[in-house]
Amino acid sequence: MSAGPTIHPKRPEVVTDGVASSRPRWLEIATSGDHKDVGRMLIAGSLAFLALALIEFLLIRLQLAVPENTMIEPVTFNRLLSVMGVSLVVLFALPLVLGLYTYLVPLQIGARALAFPRLANLSTWLYIVGGAILYTSFVYTPPEAGINPLPPLSDTAFISNNGVDVWITAVGLSVLGFVLLAINLLVTLRRLRAPGLATRRLPPFAFSAGVSSWILLIAGPAMLAALVMLEMDRRFEGVFFDPGGGGAPTYWQHLSWIFMTGCYLLMVIPAAAAISEILPTFARKPLISRRAVNLSLAATGAIGLLAWMQNMLTASIPIGWLYFAMAAALLLIVPVGVLFVNWLATLASGAIELRAPMLFALAAISTLSIGLVAELFHAVIPVNWLLADTADATAATGYVVVGGPVLGGIAALHYWFPKLTGRFMGESLARFSLVAILIGAHLTLLPMFLAGLDGQQADVYKYFEDDLYADGVVGTFQSLDTYNLISSIGALVLVTGIVMSLVNAARSAGHGRRAGHDPWRGDTLEWLALSPPPPHNFDVVPDVRSDEPMRDIRDAVKRRHPPVPASRAKSGEPVA
Amino acid sequence: MLGPESAHSPNAEDLNALYWVMMVIGLLLIVAINAALIGLVVRYRRSRGAAAPRRLRSRRPIQVVAASALAGLALVLFVLGVIFTENAREVEASGPDGLQASSLLTAQRDIKPPGGEDTEPLTIQASGQQWIWRYEYPDGTFSYYELVVPVDTAVLVELNSTDVVHRWWVPGLGGKFDVVPDQQSGTWFKADEEGVYYGASYQFSGAAYAAMRTRVRVVTPTEYEAWLEQQATDIQDAQELVRRQLDERVDSPDNPPDDGESVDIDSSAPGGGGGPSQ
Repeated sequence: MSAGPTIHPKRPEVVTDGVASSRPRWLEIATSGDHKDVGRMLIAGSLAFLALALIEFLLIRLQLAVPENTMIEPVTFNRLLSVMGVSLVVLFALPLVLGLYTYLVPLQIGARALAFPRLANLSTWLYIVGGAILYTSFVYTPPEAGINPLPPLSDTAFISNNGVDVWITAVGLSVLGFVLLAINLLVTLRRLRAPGLATRRLPPFAFSAGVSSWILLIAGPAMLAALVMLEMDRRFEGVFFDPGGGGAPTYWQHLSWIFMTGCYLLMVIPAAAAISEILPTFARKPLISRRAVNLSLAATGAIGLLAWMQNMLTASIPIGWLYFAMAAALLLIVPVGVLFVNWLATLASGAIELRAPMLFALAAISTLSIGLVAELFHAVIPVNWLLADTADATAATGYVVVGGPVLGGIAALHYWFPKLTGRFMGESLARFSLVAILIGAHLTLLPMFLAGLDGQQADVYKYFEDDLYADGVVGTFQSLDTYNLISSIGALVLVTGIVMSLVNAARSAGHGRRAGHDPWRGDTLEWLALSPPPPHNFDVVPDVRSDEPMRDIRDAVKRRHPPVPASRAKSGEPVA
Repeated sequence: MLGPESAHSPNAEDLNALYWVMMVIGLLLIVAINAALIGLVVRYRRSRGAAAPRRLRSRRPIQVVAASALAGLALVLFVLGVIFTENAREVEASGPDGLQASSLLTAQRDIKPPGGEDTEPLTIQASGQQWIWRYEYPDGTFSYYELVVPVDTAVLVELNSTDVVHRWWVPGLGGKFDVVPDQQSGTWFKADEEGVYYGASYQFSGAAYAAMRTRVRVVTPTEYEAWLEQQATDIQDAQELVRRQLDERVDSPDNPPDDGESVDIDSSAPGGGGGPSQ
């Protein structure tokens, strides 16, 4: 294949594949700078923390299954809640996305490694140590200041134990790792692309890695600064957020919401990008406009970050700024809507194959549509004044978590699992899992919308019986018991569904059906590499001449060797 | 069930109206996306013998049309949002059945008392503290947990906190607003019906956050004035009682004499009074 029209001439290589290592395998992986080992560690870590977060989620829903439940102490509940919040976002959603990026971006752009391999290893360990610090706090005092530890509540005057300090340390180390990884990915994307792979030819997933990295590069340091200031307030007599000392809690709100808005975008954008790769592959038809999709992903990131104040519309901020926040949040309709239009138009007149990755991607689109529309309600100031910080807000975020990192993440996992392991994930278990996740998610979250409209607060450890409010003029706080009971039952189904997918991944890694190197006939470069890829990824780095390099390579192979045996053509590996 | 609680204050009506606009648009969007998704997947399934896909590339008109339509929707929502926000911020004058004590004001921020008029707005100081609400009336009387106000009267609620950040909301009577220590913020409502309205705190505030509820009891102006008087007397009686008990303890030989003046449970100083749930 060395002289094919789209393949770069062979270059001398130093290949270390066959060299046996003198160290144990786990030590090799733990100290490896290979982007594939780093990516695997991040993905494995994120799924482990997801499992822990699910336990906390179930305990929380169990407590809320009946009114005035005394099963869990209020402070214990607050600790579970605080740890679950960090686990789901900082320890699960972000590293899952970054792990997939770290593994796939070099493959997709035809690179042999990340720009800074050892820095990637450091990033992973910062994250893992951060997560471990958070969970070891269960042997002394876990954080209890809520999902967002807003000062002055998180100051020593109100919570003097070490819980908040643990939170600061855990989030700080993890976010530091993610910011370093973002720098790594940006340099990789800029410097190590295969010849001919112009920015406009980047596949959506690799392109979104750039968008996500920029978001992290802006939102991450804002959070790191806020964390340092909060710790100074707590232990070194600082007054950054202390209202009595001339500081302002609002300042923390701004900084933390910039970060959390970034996290929110990192749940949506990579999932949208993965969907944008899976749909064309399984509809056997390219995206109707990759340019529009990539531009929308970039615009979502840029405008989305500007909309951080959308979460602070009830604060005492001059009204002009609130209108600015509303404008930015509403402007997101355009890029996000264009994404949906492109997905639907790509499906039209395709030949759709409903394999597991496609099913999860379609479910992710459906779930995200509900979550993003629910979020749109919160963008409009008067409606926000009704819905903010009620169970409705929890449900809206819940839909995005399920649609983005959970369903989108599992779709991506199914899609790229053959590349990671050389094996398929089980198809029938995937279908059971998907059905359970969808039923469970709607059962859990739809009643929460209604409970929020009825006045249920977000993040409470209990709610009261109806008859306490029986003499009210409006029917607030009525039927909360029904809504919460349904929601708790749904939570059990939802968690069962997610666990099925986790089990599926764990089992298939060693026992799944062999997939070959190019099982889906995708059009991006990662399918040129072997599955799993060798340490140097590619024997030859191809010249990229179009949006779909793999398609060109297959055509070239077909032209040069008309009667190729099916097995070899399918393998997609250079057959020089 | 699908909407917020029925509005009993003009600003709540604005909030609810826009909610229903959003509900219609939102449901249309969700139904359209999901129906199209299911329809397309069913129609173009390969197992149904869908023809080899046409390799349609960039169809620019689709992108431009979609983006313009979406931008139009965003613009409409923004304009509606501004109009309804401005409406909700405008304090209405009290009605004929209400306590004649207020006038047009702009609420939420920069609340200014009406200059050069002989009417004073009914202004309530609402203060959040872990984990109870304290309401102070214009005459200095105060109450915990329950706010009593006259019907059909514009009530300004000036919010402040003595400890951590809270958020005040009574569904049916308008929007919710942050209560930040050392920061003035406020909202208003004009209840159109007598009765009890339940509300709560909507900002995570630590251990007993869930129990930080409140309620607004709306009564006729005459009942309101009678209640104020009764409350003032009750508070005075209670203070007398406490003072007597303290005096007795002070008089006992174990304790040094005290002037008794330093005891003042009516203190509105930060943290003063505490709450039953503490």
